[in-house]
Amino acid sequence: MDLYEIRGGRLDVIAEEGEPSRESTTMETYNVVAGSGGRTARDVSTFQRFSVGTNESLRFEPCEDSTPSPTGAEDGCGDDDDVFKEEDTESDINSIRNRLQGKVVEMENFAGHLEEIFLTVEENFGRQEQHLEQHYNDVLQTLSQRYDERAAALEEEKKSKLEALYNQLLACGRALDSSKELIESAQEVYRSQDKRLFLKTVMPTIKRIEEYAKEDVDLTLATHLEFNTPLADLSDVKTMMDSINVVPAPSAPVINPQMPNSATQTSLRVCWSLFSDDTVEYYELYYRPVLEDTPADSTCAPHESKVKVKETHCTVADLLPNAQYELWVTATNTTGISPASEKALYMTVPSPPVIKQRECTSCPEAALIRWDSGNTNPVDSYTVELSETGTDGTESSITESIVAVPTCQCLIQLQAGRRYLISVRAVNIGGPSDRSEVITVSTTGTFFHLLEDTAHPCLSISEDGFTIFYGDEELPISAMALDDNTFFTRCVAVLGDLIPVRGRHYWEVEVDDGTEFRIGVAYEDMERNTYLGANSSSWCMRHILSPTRHKYEFLHNGWSPDLRITVNPVRIGVALDYDRGTLSFFNVNLEQHLHTFHCNFQNHIQPCFSLDNPGALTVHNGIEAPEYAFM
Amino acid sequence: MALTQVSSNKCAGGFQKVFEHESTELKCKMKFAVYLPPKAETDKCPVMYWLSGLTCTEQNFITKAGSQLAAAEHGIIIVAPDTSPRGCNIEGEDENWDFGTGAGFYVNATQDPWKTNYRMYAYVTEELPKLISANFPTDPDRMSVSGHSMGGHGALICALKNPGKYKAYDATVLAASYSGPQLNILIDQGQDDQFLSASQLLPDNLIAVCSEKKIPVVFRLQPGYDHSYFFMYSFMNDHIKHHAKYLNA
Repeated sequence: MDLYEIRGGRLDVIAEEGEPSRESTTMETYNVVAGSGGRTARDVSTFQRFSVGTNESLRFEPCEDSTPSPTGAEDGCGDDDDVFKEEDTESDINSIRNRLQGKVVEMENFAGHLEEIFLTVEENFGRQEQHLEQHYNDVLQTLSQRYDERAAALEEEKKSKLEALYNQLLACGRALDSSKELIESAQEVYRSQDKRLFLKTVMPTIKRIEEYAKEDVDLTLATHLEFNTPLADLSDVKTMMDSINVVPAPSAPVINPQMPNSATQTSLRVCWSLFSDDTVEYYELYYRPVLEDTPADSTCAPHESKVKVKETHCTVADLLPNAQYELWVTATNTTGISPASEKALYMTVPSPPVIKQRECTSCPEAALIRWDSGNTNPVDSYTVELSETGTDGTESSITESIVAVPTCQCLIQLQAGRRYLISVRAVNIGGPSDRSEVITVSTTGTFFHLLEDTAHPCLSISEDGFTIFYGDEELPISAMALDDNTFFTRCVAVLGDLIPVRGRHYWEVEVDDGTEFRIGVAYEDMERNTYLGANSSSWCMRHILSPTRHKYEFLHNGWSPDLRITVNPVRIGVALDYDRGTLSFFNVNLEQHLHTFHCNFQNHIQPCFSLDNPGALTVHNGIEAPEYAFM
Repeated sequence: MALTQVSSNKCAGGFQKVFEHESTELKCKMKFAVYLPPKAETDKCPVMYWLSGLTCTEQNFITKAGSQLAAAEHGIIIVAPDTSPRGCNIEGEDENWDFGTGAGFYVNATQDPWKTNYRMYAYVTEELPKLISANFPTDPDRMSVSGHSMGGHGALICALKNPGKYKAYDATVLAASYSGPQLNILIDQGQDDQFLSASQLLPDNLIAVCSEKKIPVVFRLQPGYDHSYFFMYSFMNDHIKHHAKYLNA
């Protein structure tokens, strides 16, 4: 198994920073325009160009001037450019640093994995050695046992043979002695002078000698001279020796850690390897979900599943999204099953988030997007992706990604007068989820929805969310009792969800001649049991209908200047400028300026709309502010 | 027509000048003040005519009203004529402060001995604009009219009698019969103005008529303010800005 192959050859990128990288990036980055050379290039010897919206690899190109001048005077770039280039280089340096950090993390993970492999290999070979030692020990033991037996048997035989021979020797000795005795007595008889005695004894003696000589002398050896050497029965030793050559059961495989971007919402791609020369017939992969609360009794243990595969990888499907699974694998051959590998933890990718369409707001320079996680368990972060669309609806190739968003909302900087398609992905260890449904954001004018939670109970809002109605209903007593300052309890009003960006905002309100209204802005923490314009945290234009005439007031802190307007506005433009500290009102149809409040708005304020008599009004936004609005 | 420069002072980056000329309508020498903003050195600028009130000359407005900074900011030429013919020696013209000298009312007199010289309406609506166009870098299509007190009334009647001339004898009567392109009138009235409390000024009548005829007016009653140039000074910027919106569009 080649470690290099597993890691996809990424090791070499770290060693050769500054040379062309072979790796492709899955992250698209901002379009950074880098100039040629410059005083700011002193610290970074090369500039890099990022290609935008494609999977082209990052290229490092040297800057045209080989060495920047010591004083920077001859660099050929004006002083005006330097600040711009410094920002460029800073962002370049930042991104290089980020990538290096990413590589460091990769290396650390790889080192950890290597350690695991090292330990497993050591273990495997340790076991093999042990096994061999034992095997050979058994053989040796058996052999020495046999030797002892045979040696003992041999000894026994020797003893018995020697005994027999010794007895025979004794017998021969006795026989010799008796023969010698006989001969001596015969000689004595022969030598005797007494002839009568000689004659008396000679005949029996001759008879005795004759008889004795007739006796056959048994000259055969009592025993064989040769030893009995039976064939040693070493068959079982032979079997043992043979079994040494038999293929052992495999050693434990090593399961790989989860590869990035290999998981989907419902499946995981698992890989493992074998670090020995074992033969393997098939592998068995086991997996079970990791539950948050481990139950006390084992009967409720999560269900364990098993898959049989021949290859060293497998894609497990039918899993839950954003869930952690424990996996391990065994290898099997004719001899048996290996021990299980270490347990690895894999995670499926989360479900895509759901953008909350009615809680997104925008203005010419930015948009605030809010979404629901889409997952019951927490995820690591979110990635927001946006692309610009042309006026004909075609999606342009310009794409941006904002990664590592920690919460379920994101304030994105945009350019005025464009249309964007924005979507969100949830990210965990397993990788990013599928894209959420797309939301279209137009940066023409300021756009916001009404905050329905703040509406007075007698106020109802249309389906599309932009027209409010005040029916002539009695306020339910229960609503009066609530005092948590979320919705209006006296003034039949509602707030708008203006994006918290301090710039210029413009919206219009459509009313009719007979509607008594208050239109303006308020701080978010305005007391909900007071009237718009009656306190120091709200400013509004008020229309009062009396039997004889129309009256208009511009209220803040309960005070209004004395104004007369001859043509009753039915479409009112409201222009808010945080920097200049102004809030202006216009009769849109006549392009007539009505009044301007001057106030340095400390906190973010919200548009507010209220009806003082039964009637309706409609909010229009997403309109480009007319020139006269911010003169 | 020959112009003689009487004075020139650098002011707010531009020049406050006073000129004198022989008037054909009024048959006497007349002075008028002209403020040229910095923009006038390179481009043609729109013109705002300012009509002053009773007893004033061309001097009061340029020294006390504080208009030069706003005029320079918005690039507008301000022309402030005198309030009546001078030195004609007509009998009775100096008897009352509100009739005769310094009280031209911006109308053309119809009776003797006044009708020869007292033709302020013609002077302001015809002779003066021609003179200004011929001698200064102006854009003749962009012209507006404003004023204080008698001049305010004069401005109203000039606009109402010349529909489309400006982006009545009695302005109220004129308003009642006005039919022309849309006007957009801004009126400030000091609440402590003694003429208001003496019922010599009757803004309610004008408002009522304009409401009926749907002539857009924003009328602001400013508490504590009187009739003087201090009052004018306080709201001059708002008015020049109001004019600039239409002159610079």
